[in-house]
Amino acid sequence: MNQIERYLAIAAGKEEVHAGDDITVNVDLAIAHDITGPMAVEQFKKIGIGHVFDAKKVVFVLDHIMPAATVEAKVLHNVLREFSLEYGVKLYDKGEGVIHQVIAEKHRLKRGSILIGADSHTCTAGAYGALAIPVGATELAATMATGTIDLEVPEVCEIRIDGKLQPGVYAKDVILHLIGYFGTAGFTDQGVIYTGSLMDQLTMDDKMTISNMGIEMGTMISYFADPDQPVGTVKEVYPFQAEAIPASVACPPNPGIVVRASDLSSTKISQVVIGSCTNGRLSDMLVAAEVLKGRKVAAGVTLLIIPASVDIAQQMEDQGLNRIFREAGGMITSPGCGPCFGAHMGLLAAGDVAVSTTNRNFPGRMGHRDGKVYLASPRLAAESAIAGTIVTPGMVVPLGGLADELEK
Amino acid sequence: MSWKSKIHGRVWNLGSNIDTDQIFPGYAMAAPADKFKEYALAGSEIPDFARKVQAGDVIVAGENFGCGSSREQAPVALKEAGVGLVIAKSFARIFRRNAINIGLPVLVCDMELQVENGQEIEADLVSAEVTICASGGKISGTILASSVLETLEAGGLIAKVRNQLKIL
Repeated sequence: MNQIERYLAIAAGKEEVHAGDDITVNVDLAIAHDITGPMAVEQFKKIGIGHVFDAKKVVFVLDHIMPAATVEAKVLHNVLREFSLEYGVKLYDKGEGVIHQVIAEKHRLKRGSILIGADSHTCTAGAYGALAIPVGATELAATMATGTIDLEVPEVCEIRIDGKLQPGVYAKDVILHLIGYFGTAGFTDQGVIYTGSLMDQLTMDDKMTISNMGIEMGTMISYFADPDQPVGTVKEVYPFQAEAIPASVACPPNPGIVVRASDLSSTKISQVVIGSCTNGRLSDMLVAAEVLKGRKVAAGVTLLIIPASVDIAQQMEDQGLNRIFREAGGMITSPGCGPCFGAHMGLLAAGDVAVSTTNRNFPGRMGHRDGKVYLASPRLAAESAIAGTIVTPGMVVPLGGLADELEK
Repeated sequence: MSWKSKIHGRVWNLGSNIDTDQIFPGYAMAAPADKFKEYALAGSEIPDFARKVQAGDVIVAGENFGCGSSREQAPVALKEAGVGLVIAKSFARIFRRNAINIGLPVLVCDMELQVENGQEIEADLVSAEVTICASGGKISGTILASSVLETLEAGGLIAKVRNQLKIL
């Protein structure tokens, strides 16, 4: 068995499981937010059971349209507030941040735990070794009632990345490169285990960025290997060399259309978004601040800075990053999902072009169907904000920071 | 809702990579449940799909139908708008499960290039065989797992869970 199978077997109370087996696993945490949660609550009530399987293991977070941008959004918040009072489950309703970051900070699961989330980016938790499986509202409702979920054991592949990343290349470039290579359906219904010497150099923030976008390759489970136990038998091993991964951009209309940043012809932009569950952590903000310090956002460009959580927002304030962003001409919004999925706080009109550190660029993702979104790292996004066009890292601000100097 | 193993309907051929933002756009995400159907495919190249679709119509698509978000509003909107079945060469995992869980049948069958908009087809969910009515031509899809058929027959996952928990 591989590591994913080993933990699925434990969760299913079996000695062994194999790809293709239908199993029922015990769930350690079930989560939803203000868009999926109310539907889950409605479905849960149809089941007709008076309690959730374990009130400590169900968590809701208001993050998608928080604070409410419309009356309808507020109604959804109220549904979750009433449910949390009635059933005694935790509701984060103070703008604590994006669900995946809040769960990592306040409900960090131990390796091998089963996390079921009614949000496709639940896979973020694979960074710390949780088996994190995204579902829809009805499946979450079933789990809220039973404490279990029925799964088929997936085939599992290993993505092994050895070496060191080049200056100007970040975790975001790694995952964009992989999505470009494997395609948006590359691992549909499969598990992916990340291994290789690059992993020792990645921070938890980096791993969360990579795991977050596993769903953009279709994965059922994205999971960073435990280096202290054998990976086990997998269907296929895909080796990559970190040095060969370039600064990358995913072009519209989907995250699978990935090019080298240096191959993009000059593209004028009107918005830059730095944040989200993909790239809204402190290390992302530090990279962006280093670029934006003492510089100005180009005329005609709106720069939005969206911390992934209130804890991160506090650290940004403590470390003086907010002043840097504001002096550069950026807007700092409250933690949450913001314009990432096109609901509020920074939408695009037809003809607008955004560089965004978020995770999707489907037609209409950030507003109008003819508004375009290019996905990239915080470094590339910050430099592009200053240039007013999409640039390669190093073109606006030289790469040679102290860390880069030591590498040479 | 009554279970029908044979579905007869008119085809909407949508092509590949129809993501959930196209099926149910982000701006509609806070809409109340009784309005979901108005947004079916509102973000796609057929933004007025909800007004044109007729009860029992069948969506035929290429690869990776429903990729992206976990939003169950997407299959619910299609179902409530009248879509009786979605046939695709392949589905994204979450959409496929969501559709089954809410009782919207899905069938994996590579027929995107063999049917045009407006053609009538009949699909047998048990044998996974699709017949093009005009020509009589038959195309075989992937047989649905027994657990999937059980869920569809029960009318969705909630009914199945009620049975499991013996809630009558």
